[in-house]
Amino acid sequence: MDFFSSMQISSSALTAERTRMNLISSNLANANSTKTAEGGPYKRKDAVFSATQVAETFRSALDRMRRGAPQGVEVTQIVEDQNPPRLQYDPTHPDANAQGYVALPNVNVVEEMADMIAATRAYEANVTAVQAAKSMALKTLEIGSK
Amino acid sequence: MPIDTIFGTTVDLLAKSIDLRAKNHTMISANLANVETPNFTPTSLSFEDELKGALKEKKGAPSVTNPRHIPLKGHGATLQQVEGRVIETPSTTPGKDNNGVELEAEMGRMVENQLMYNASIQILGKKFEGLKTAIKGQ
Repeated sequence: MDFFSSMQISSSALTAERTRMNLISSNLANANSTKTAEGGPYKRKDAVFSATQVAETFRSALDRMRRGAPQGVEVTQIVEDQNPPRLQYDPTHPDANAQGYVALPNVNVVEEMADMIAATRAYEANVTAVQAAKSMALKTLEIGSK
Repeated sequence: MPIDTIFGTTVDLLAKSIDLRAKNHTMISANLANVETPNFTPTSLSFEDELKGALKEKKGAPSVTNPRHIPLKGHGATLQQVEGRVIETPSTTPGKDNNGVELEAEMGRMVENQLMYNASIQILGKKFEGLKTAIKGQ
């Protein structure tokens, strides 16, 4: 019985999805930020997910070598979107260039909202998996309890 | 009376199926965890056929009376030896990032697996309950 590793896998996913949610919040919050510490408008940030082995016992490591084991997930990198900034004509804006255009962040609010829903659903699915593991483990303890 | 006949194959079979379903849950969790990982191919554990095969072997086939015996070729494994096969279940319509996980299918598989797990636990519990009743003679 190995419910703890399945819980570990699910919680690795919860962590990853939360990181992604933080990035989405940051993107939405800065959808109109024209100044950043690095200079220029804010650049949209995105998380890179990759499958990974969760911390394991000797036995599970042996099992994995024998027949490919289930993998957790982790955020390996946070990348900045290199798409060009949106240019908007607004000569009165203090950050406008000589032609009167302001460079706005390359954040598309609609896209971020869609991403946010995807992240929420993925998070929920993993919470359900943890709940299932928990209820199965508890059910096992009921054997012979009557 | 050998103790084996009290428990029969039921306890062995249920214990094995509980074990394999627990493993299967880990695989499903891994698929759900990687629902948005690029190039990920989901896996699942296939064991129902092997379990059936192991049950059938009981009749007529040379039985393995010692765990160190090597089963004859052509005959399925004994119940204890069933480990299930890890099979890859790629999606028929992978998206742009080549991720093969279908959230709905995985959730469905998870619910099914959980129900079957609970059912096995319940039957095992009833089996022991029955034995207890027999012992008490009530």
